[in-house]
Amino acid sequence: MNALELKNVRKSFSGFCLDNISLTLPSGCIMGLIGENGAGKSTTIKLILDMLHKDGGTITILGKDNEKDISLTKEDVGVVMDDIGMPECLTAKQIGNVMKHTFRNWNDAEYTQLLQKLSLPDNKQFKDFSRGMKMKLGIVVALSHGAKLLLFDEPTSGLDPVVRDEVVDMFYDFTRDENHSILISSHIVSDLEKLCDYVAFLHKGKLLLCEEKDVLLSEYGIIHCTVEQLSELNNEVIRYRKETPYGAEAIVLRKDAPDGFKLSPISIEELFVFMVKEAK
Amino acid sequence: MKGLLLKDWYMMKKYCRYYLFVSIGFIILSMMSSGNMFFVFYPCLLAGMIPVNLLGYDERSRWTEYVGTLPYTKTQIVSAKYLIGLFTQIALLTVICIAQGVKMGIEGTFVLKEFLLLMMLLLILASVASSLTLPFVFKYGVEKGRGAYYVMIGVVCAGSIIATTIFKEGLQNEIQLNAVLPIACLVGIGIYVLSWYLSVVFYKKKEM
Repeated sequence: MNALELKNVRKSFSGFCLDNISLTLPSGCIMGLIGENGAGKSTTIKLILDMLHKDGGTITILGKDNEKDISLTKEDVGVVMDDIGMPECLTAKQIGNVMKHTFRNWNDAEYTQLLQKLSLPDNKQFKDFSRGMKMKLGIVVALSHGAKLLLFDEPTSGLDPVVRDEVVDMFYDFTRDENHSILISSHIVSDLEKLCDYVAFLHKGKLLLCEEKDVLLSEYGIIHCTVEQLSELNNEVIRYRKETPYGAEAIVLRKDAPDGFKLSPISIEELFVFMVKEAK
Repeated sequence: MKGLLLKDWYMMKKYCRYYLFVSIGFIILSMMSSGNMFFVFYPCLLAGMIPVNLLGYDERSRWTEYVGTLPYTKTQIVSAKYLIGLFTQIALLTVICIAQGVKMGIEGTFVLKEFLLLMMLLLILASVASSLTLPFVFKYGVEKGRGAYYVMIGVVCAGSIIATTIFKEGLQNEIQLNAVLPIACLVGIGIYVLSWYLSVVFYKKKEM
């Protein structure tokens, strides 16, 4: 079963349109939704949760249509939004009490253990937490009610490198269960590159690509050469190109790569930047 | 929905202490003054505004978005605010009820029917305060819904004058009093239920 399926999902606002987004997240996998600010990442997550009403298309969460009994489906979904959204005057302990009466499968022991693991005080008001602590608390709540699917909107922004590493480890632990999946959006591509099995590139409301990360990394390569050398290359071979006064770079499919050019491995970040610039 | 009510209870304890002190002050004043209903009506008006103020804090902390990710229906989210308002109003009315009962007892003016009428009018007034405001707040948000708040203040002030008149006339005319009690009760309940229904309809259409 797929954890998430979006088919031709559309949503228009004045000045922005999410245009026929289709993507599939298989169970047990982590998908990174990569896009610059305003690309439509948060809109996509809100559409999945039916917080925004879609103009067209279908969305299935854990095999269920997201417009039917979505409140029941949300029992199995853990979410961390960019703004987190906890009441400012509540302490972590009070938030735990609220969630205990919110989720059927709330695990108090797990919650307390995660608070301790991430050094979060249970008697301090949420408004007095740093940005990183707020994010950690949001993640702890999402991980404490037996969710099968996690939806994270920029969860690692504002976290220091050590905490980011801890959080990434928690995500790995979560997906050890083959029924657990994560959709994680970010514009910090390096985080997602380490973590994800699948990547989806969003740019100005359009899905540029949705593919298995390892497939992308094995299929594409990058050529560093001079502008003159680049001009000698067959245009059909070049997927994306960048020319500067100091040289040229081109992304090519490895199988089409011409002899005589040194092909370097490409990173997801490089591929994303090239694709977005090309799309502009 | 228990989680939503608990969250609002925590927030009330933190943010609404001021209401408690002001209400106690006004209740004491109402016991000392004779015939001035404003001191009795005002705490009810404040109690009716508590759900709107809680929604304001929810918006500021972005809880209004986060709650959309939790396993609650929109009907439950709206209903929690109406319930918390109702609980507050009933708690306050109980205190006012005791205070006014004691006052009337000391003055030797306690008549059960008059007393019930006064309490009924207070309950209606308190429910009208939130009933008129909440649908606008759920539709437009707290900032834009503030206009409804000012309209509500005007309506409640006018209502308190009419209520005072009814109360005084009621004392002079027992037949009128008998008719007013059930009608007032029905009007109060009707306004509250209609307001809740409208809020649910508006909120279901609203995007988070």
